Amino acid sequence: MKVLEYKRQLDEADASVVFVTFDDPEPVRRGLLAGLEVPYPVLVDRERVVYRAWGLRRSSLAGIWLDPRLWARYAALIVRGERLRRLGSDTLQLGGDFVLDRAGKVVYARPQQRDDRPPVGELLRMLRSASR
Amino acid sequence: MTADAVVRVGVSAPPLDLPMLDGGLFSLRGERGHPVLVSFLRHAG
Repeated sequence: MKVLEYKRQLDEADASVVFVTFDDPEPVRRGLLAGLEVPYPVLVDRERVVYRAWGLRRSSLAGIWLDPRLWARYAALIVRGERLRRLGSDTLQLGGDFVLDRAGKVVYARPQQRDDRPPVGELLRMLRSASR
Repeated sequence: MTADAVVRVGVSAPPLDLPMLDGGLFSLRGERGHPVLVSFLRHAG
């Protein structure tokens, strides 16, 4: 949820932001959202109906846990003294980021292929472009 | 939209009507008129 650090730029682009999770609300509050002020809706899709409808699949076990980039990221978090979150209910479910224009048309689609996220700058660029 | 569909650039976004974590229902239709970032999270424990 690194995008939360860019609220001013999001506001300047007149952008709405929506987060979707499939986990139980309580672990989400205790884990992901702990200590965070989230000024955007966080939606809950326990059955993952919307995840499937948007084409977001589950990875293989190896696709997530044998990816050295994941371990490098965890190592970097530990070095920085950051708290590692507990694992959610399904570590293999992939997410994704989508940008829609003012009419609701998809102008950017990046379903995850592994545990990664696009740079926030890329998302902001697409949102600015979509706001014109 | 069928299960495991692929959402591509250029198509209209599929419906997104879901409960919000803090209560109430959200509909993506209500965001028309704004550019929207929809961010689907991985596990969120």
